Amino acid sequence: MGILEDLGKRMVFFDGGMGTLLQENGLGPGELPELWNLTRPELIKEIHSRYRAAGADILTTNTFGANPIKLHGCGRSTEEIVAAAVALAREAAHGALVAMDIGPTGKLLRPLGDLDFEDAVSAFSRAAAAGEKAGADLILIETMSDTYECKAAVLAAKESTRLPVFVTMVVDEQGKLLTGGDIPAAAALLEGLGVDAVGLNCGFGPGQMKKFLPQMTQACSLPVIVTPNAGLPRTEGDKTVFDVKPEEFAAVMEEIAKEGAWILGGCCGTTPEHIAAVVRRCKDLSPRPIVPKNRTVVSSFARAVVFGEKPVLIGERINPTGKSRLKQALRDNDMDYLLREAITQQENGAHILDVNVGLPEIDEPALLRRAVMEIQGISDLPLQLDTSDPKAMEGAMRIYNGKPLINSVNGKAESMEAIFPLVKKYGGAVIALTLDENGIPATAQGRFEIAEKIVRTAREYGIDKKDIVFDTLAMTISAGQENAAITLEALRLIRDRLDIHTSLGVSNISFGLPQREHINAAFFTMALQNGLGAAIVNPNSAAMMDAYHAYCALSGSDEQCMDYIARYSAQKAEAAPPPAAGEISLLDAVVRGLKESAHAAALRLVETEEPLAIINTQMIPALDRVGKDFEQGVLFLPQLLMSAEAAKSAFEVIRVKMTVNGEQTKKEKIILATVKGDIHDIGKNIVKVLLENYSYDVIDLGKDVPPETVVDAAEEGGVKLVGLSALMTTTVSNMAETIRQLHERVPDCRVMVGGAVLTPEYAQQIHADAYSRDAMGSVHYAQKLFGGE
Amino acid sequence: MKETEEVLRYLGYRGKPADERTLLTIESCISELRAAVTPRSLSLLLPVKFDGDAVLLGNLRVESRDLRNHLSGCGEAYLFAATLGTKADFLLERASKIDISRAVVLQACAAALTESVCDEAERELSAEAAKRGLFLRPRYSPGYGDFSILHQRDLLGILQAQKKIGLAMTQDSMLVPTKSVTAVIGLTAEQTTCHIAKCMGCKSLNCPFRKD
Repeated sequence: MGILEDLGKRMVFFDGGMGTLLQENGLGPGELPELWNLTRPELIKEIHSRYRAAGADILTTNTFGANPIKLHGCGRSTEEIVAAAVALAREAAHGALVAMDIGPTGKLLRPLGDLDFEDAVSAFSRAAAAGEKAGADLILIETMSDTYECKAAVLAAKESTRLPVFVTMVVDEQGKLLTGGDIPAAAALLEGLGVDAVGLNCGFGPGQMKKFLPQMTQACSLPVIVTPNAGLPRTEGDKTVFDVKPEEFAAVMEEIAKEGAWILGGCCGTTPEHIAAVVRRCKDLSPRPIVPKNRTVVSSFARAVVFGEKPVLIGERINPTGKSRLKQALRDNDMDYLLREAITQQENGAHILDVNVGLPEIDEPALLRRAVMEIQGISDLPLQLDTSDPKAMEGAMRIYNGKPLINSVNGKAESMEAIFPLVKKYGGAVIALTLDENGIPATAQGRFEIAEKIVRTAREYGIDKKDIVFDTLAMTISAGQENAAITLEALRLIRDRLDIHTSLGVSNISFGLPQREHINAAFFTMALQNGLGAAIVNPNSAAMMDAYHAYCALSGSDEQCMDYIARYSAQKAEAAPPPAAGEISLLDAVVRGLKESAHAAALRLVETEEPLAIINTQMIPALDRVGKDFEQGVLFLPQLLMSAEAAKSAFEVIRVKMTVNGEQTKKEKIILATVKGDIHDIGKNIVKVLLENYSYDVIDLGKDVPPETVVDAAEEGGVKLVGLSALMTTTVSNMAETIRQLHERVPDCRVMVGGAVLTPEYAQQIHADAYSRDAMGSVHYAQKLFGGE
Repeated sequence: MKETEEVLRYLGYRGKPADERTLLTIESCISELRAAVTPRSLSLLLPVKFDGDAVLLGNLRVESRDLRNHLSGCGEAYLFAATLGTKADFLLERASKIDISRAVVLQACAAALTESVCDEAERELSAEAAKRGLFLRPRYSPGYGDFSILHQRDLLGILQAQKKIGLAMTQDSMLVPTKSVTAVIGLTAEQTTCHIAKCMGCKSLNCPFRKD
C-alpha cells in the first residue's frame, strides 16, 4: 500500500464526478446510483476506466450512498452493493488505487435529528468493513457537512478497517459546514481523530474553493485534498450543466496545488477531460512541504479555541465539589440547572466549559455522557471533560462533537496507561498534572521533571507535546506560603524549556482563607504574568474577570484595549439604572412578569414570613389570576410565561428557605415526555414550567421518548400522572402505544395528553384519561386529580 | 410588519393588540434569528402527469386526490424545499433552558421567518415562470389532505436536500432542522386565486392559521 508513502513526494490525483455522468446516462432524480453497480456494471466500469486513462491515481467507488440507512428498503444489502462496486473499480484500476467512497447517511444526528451517534457508527462500519473486504485500498469519507456525522464515520472506518482514511467536507460561501462548524474546528476534530488526509469537496468550483484553502492548510498539519465541482450547477432546459471547462478548471487547480494541496480531483460536473487537464498541468509540480503547526487547539462542533493567542478561560462552575445546589440537581437528574450554569458562564466570557459530574453515589459514566450531550446541544463552546473515571472519560470523549480538553492525566504510570490511548484514539488536548506516584514535588524543578517524563511517555503513544497542557498545581498558601512561588516557578520552567502551554485551577490557592477572591484575583494576575496559558476560574466572578481583562490590556494581548474599553465603558453607561422603581409586592411582580422584582420581593418576604404563607397569599393568587386572564383571552402566552418565569425565580428563593426549615418543597410527581418520534418539545416545556410553579415535582423525560422509558419511570417513581405531548399525526400512534403500556403496567397512573394534532375526541380514542387544550389545562387536571383546586 | 402579525397569530393573539414588552421581544427575536441563521432553499422543475387519482411528478407517483386537484391544469411543478438550518433549532433549545417565554416567542418568529424565506424563494420561481407566461399555484406540502407525509422521503431524495441544503427527516417523516418546508408548487397557464381546500383538508385542527 504505497499511497501514504507517495504523499508529499509527488502530486496525487483522484478521479472526478460520478453522479453527473450517471445522470447523463439516464439516472433519474431520486434513483439510487449505487444500484447501477449491479444493474449497469459495464457503464460504471467504463467510467472508472476513462478516469484511469485520464491519469487518476485513485478511483473512487460508486458507493456514496451505500450504507444501511440510505439503502433501507431498496432490497439490496450494503455488502452486496459495495462488493460489486469495489470489484468494478478494481477491474478498471490497472495499478491505480481504489478508494471506498462513503457519503453521509442522509439523516441528522441527535439531538438535532433522530439518528443516534452509535447507530451512525454502525452504519458506516458496515460500509467501511465491506469496502475493505472487497479489496479497497483506502476509505474516502466525503461531502460531509456535519462534524458529528464525520466523527462517526471516521471512528467507524478506524474501528472496522485498517485502511488509511481520507476525509473531505463541504462548506458554504462563508466557509461553514451546514451544521455551522468552521474549517478550523472541523480540522481540529479530524486531525485529533488521526485521519491521513483532509480537504474540501463539492459545494462550488475551484475558484471559490481556493479561497478556503489557506484556512485548511493553516489549521492542521495534514496532507490536503481539494476536489471541487466544475463550477456551480445551472439548469438548462431539463439538463444540469456546469460552467467551468476542463482547461479553466485545471488552471485554478494548478494554483491550488502551488498553495499547498497535495491531492487533487473533481466532484460534481467534472469529467475525465477535467481530470486529464489537471493531471497534465500538475503532475510535475512538487508538493509544497507541510510546516508542522505546533498549535494547541481544542474545538466544539462550531469553533476552535487556540491556546497562546490570549489566555484561555475555562469555566469551573459545572463541578459539584462544594456546590450543594449542583449536587442536588445532579441527584435529581435536573439537567436544566446544569445547562443554565453553562449558558451563564458562556455569557460571562468563558472560552471553554469544564464538565465534572462526579458524585459518589451516581452512575458517572452515564451522567457524564448525558451532560456532555445536553451541553453541546445548547452551547457552542468547547468542553473540558473532567473525570477521574477512565470509563466515564472514554464514553464522553466518544460522543463529544469536537476535539475536547481532557482533565486529566498525571505522571503516574497507571494514569498515563489509562488516558493516553484514549487521547490517541479520540483526539484531544490533555491537561497533565505534575504529580506522580511520589505525590506532588515540593519544588518547581521536581514538577518540571515530572512534566518531562509525561512528554516522553506521551510521545511513545504517538501524542505530540502540542496536545499536552501542564497544570503545575496551585495549592493553598494557608498550608505553606511558598506554595504560590513554587507553582509559578514551575509554570515558567515548563513554558520556557518545554515550550508547552499551562493551566491552573486558580482558586485552590486561597483554600481556607477568608474573602478568597482577593487572593485568587491577585494570584491569577501573577500566574498570567508567569506565562499561564489557561485558567480554570469562575467566569461569574467580577473580580476574576476584572483581573483577566486588565491583564490582557496591560500585556498587549487586547489590541488597542478594544475589549477592555468595550466591556467597561458600556458597563458605566448602564451602571446608572433608572431609580429603583419602588418596591412592588411579590404578587404584583409575578402578575406583571417581572423576574428580578419577583426575586427581590421573595428575598424580602422570606425574612419575615413563613414560606407556605408566602406561597398561599402571594404566589398562588398571582398565578391563578394570570392563569385566568390567559384563559379569558385578556393576556396571552408570552405574558403568561413571563409570569411563570417570575414565579420561578421567586420559588428558587422560597425553596431554599423551605429546605433550611426542613419542609417539603414539592408536591406529587408528574412525568412529562414528548412521545417517541417527536422532536418538537416546546409545548411540553411550557407545561413543565407551569406545573413546577404549582409546586409539582416534574420529571422531564425530554423528547423522542420510547414508551418503555415512560412506563419504567412511572413504575419506578410510583408516579400517578403522566403528561404526553405529540405534534404530528405520525407520532400519535406512539402516544397511543405509550398509553396502552402505561395502563397495562401502571394501572393507577393517569395520562393527560396535548399537542397540535390532538382533539378531545382523538384523546378519548387513544384512551387518554384527559385532554389538555393548553398549559393551564394540565394544571387544572393535576389539581383535580391531586386535590388543591 | 407582516412578520410581526404572523408571529402574534402563532402566539394566539387572534387579532388582539399585543403588549409593548411582547412586541419588543418579538423584535429582538427576529433580529437574533436574522443575524444567526443561514436560510437555504432549492427547487427542481418536473413534468406533471395524471393517472386517475394519482399524480406523476417526473418519476414519482403520488396517490393523492387532493394533490391531484391542487395540480389540476398544471403541466409542470416545482419540488421545493427550504430550511432555516440547524442554528435556529439550537437557539430555540438554548432559549427554552433559560427563558421559556422568550423561547415561545422565538419559536413563533422562526416559524414566521421560515414562511418569509419560502415566499422570497417563491417570488424568484414566480418570476422565472412569468417569463414563460406561467403562474405558480400555492405551495402544497406532504401531510396536507391525503398527500401522505411518507412522501417527505421522496421529495428530499429527489431534491438531494440533505446534501445540498442540510435538510433531512426523522424516521417518522418530520423535517429536521424543524424550521423547514417541503412542497409541490404547480405551474399553470391560468392565474388561479383560489386556495383549494388547503385548510379544510389538513389534520392540524388546532392550527392557529386554520381558516374554517
